[in-house]
Amino acid sequence: MTKPGDRSYKRSWKNLLINKRYQLRFTLFMVGLAALLMLGLGIWVMRVANETTTVSMASVRGEACPKVPTLGNGAANGDDEDAAPAPSMKLDESLDGSVGDSPSPASSASPNDPPATPSAPAVDRTGSAAGGPAAADDQPESDVAHMVAHQRRPRADRPAESGSAAADEPRKVQVQIDESSMTLTQAVPADFADRIVAHWSCELRQAATFERLERGRLRILWAMIATGVLLVLGLALYGIKMTHRVAGPLFKVSLYLSKMRAGRFDKVYNLRKGDQLVHFYDHFKLAHGGIVQMQRDDIARIAAVISAAEAAGAGQHPAVVELREMLARKEKSVE
Amino acid sequence: MSDPTAATGLPSTPRSRHQRKLANYMLDKSLQLRYVLLVTILSAVIAGALGYMIYDQRRTASESIERDLQALTQADASHQEFQEQVASGLESDDQALVYKMVAVGFALVIILSAYLVIMTHKVAGPLFKVSMYFDHMADGRLGTVTPLRRGDMLQDFFGDFKAMHESLRARAQTDVEAMERVHKALREAGNQADYRGDARARLDDALDALDQHIAHRKKQLA
Repeated sequence: MTKPGDRSYKRSWKNLLINKRYQLRFTLFMVGLAALLMLGLGIWVMRVANETTTVSMASVRGEACPKVPTLGNGAANGDDEDAAPAPSMKLDESLDGSVGDSPSPASSASPNDPPATPSAPAVDRTGSAAGGPAAADDQPESDVAHMVAHQRRPRADRPAESGSAAADEPRKVQVQIDESSMTLTQAVPADFADRIVAHWSCELRQAATFERLERGRLRILWAMIATGVLLVLGLALYGIKMTHRVAGPLFKVSLYLSKMRAGRFDKVYNLRKGDQLVHFYDHFKLAHGGIVQMQRDDIARIAAVISAAEAAGAGQHPAVVELREMLARKEKSVE
Repeated sequence: MSDPTAATGLPSTPRSRHQRKLANYMLDKSLQLRYVLLVTILSAVIAGALGYMIYDQRRTASESIERDLQALTQADASHQEFQEQVASGLESDDQALVYKMVAVGFALVIILSAYLVIMTHKVAGPLFKVSMYFDHMADGRLGTVTPLRRGDMLQDFFGDFKAMHESLRARAQTDVEAMERVHKALREAGNQADYRGDARARLDDALDALDQHIAHRKKQLA
């Protein structure tokens, strides 16, 4: 701070901390309190925000997306209800039906069937292959897909036709497929693509929702941290500035007190605009005025005695000399 | 600061063992209330804003649960009562949270205000005491200065004031002693010397006035 007599003194950031103990104590109290409050309530907010995020995510998870339709084995994918029914491969059942009962050349050799290889033995409707059992045995197992279906083959649920009677009955049809392949082409549902799109749209929407919820949770966290930091910094600055308005007048009064202690009673100037403790300062000014008045009373009284002594011819008396010194000191103090 | 002496009817000399009283905690209303209101309003704003966030988040969670429950039970009318029960429970929980937060906020404001009044009193107290001494000084009274109470702030400032006051008092006492000595010497010299009549009368009057002045000063320094 500059001289107290300097009435044009302006506040400066360098002088904000005049009374460190008082200013820092108050400011740190406010800052600490605000930080504690923010921390406590922030933890509470985050706990509730986490709970809300968890609940919202659970809610989103609860909305099931349409399943992906499959063309293959539905059981493998766990899509029993959506899977297309698998074509029956039970040749024995079909053979139990029309094929076995009324075999026809057209049914056994349809135009769509792949042509038999020349080396393949012809199907023998009488029950044996053209090459006979010996010819069939000559083909290795790995090379020939061997499937034999017996018409009226004895089944476990047909105990009536048991034993030797069935064995003795001559076979009507024997089918042997060698080196053949069969492609099963399933019909694609009309809404297959839509269902795929709907499924993945739903999955992506849910993922986006999760991300949004998590982002919202983090936004709350960061917003609170940023607010807390700003609050603490702002409060610290404001606190120092506010306490400076109290510490400033106290500092000014302290300077006057130092002068008074040294026996100097200069003129007291007013506080700066915005300072606090105005009434306190008024009390100080009254006190200062009272002390100055005391000195002036002393001066008047001493001057009267010196004047009377000089008039009486005792001007050189040591006591009068001492009074003159005292008078000079007092007059100097109130200049 | 208002006039402390007039406000409390304090005795002419400060008591050395002044105890804190509840009634005297608001010594300087403008200074103390400024701090109290600032911190209290700030705390209330922080608590209010964060409290609203807590309530908002909680309400969002409750609404989500209610919505999901409604979706789950909409096909079954028998679950309607259960759903209403859960919704009512959530509603009352949210309401309880609001009451809890309001109670915490009020408690916070009351505790903070009380604490700040006590804390600012530790600043206002020394200022009040110094103001009182200033009033005495304004009347020319330079009695003894008693120390601050334990826990008071502004001890440095009060130390400066006390040093100044003691210096003034010591100097005034020295001056009084010097004036007394001069008065006595001149009185004795006047009695021994043959001063001229009119001048002697003037000197005697001046010495009488000085004597009264010294007596007055002594009274002020008592």
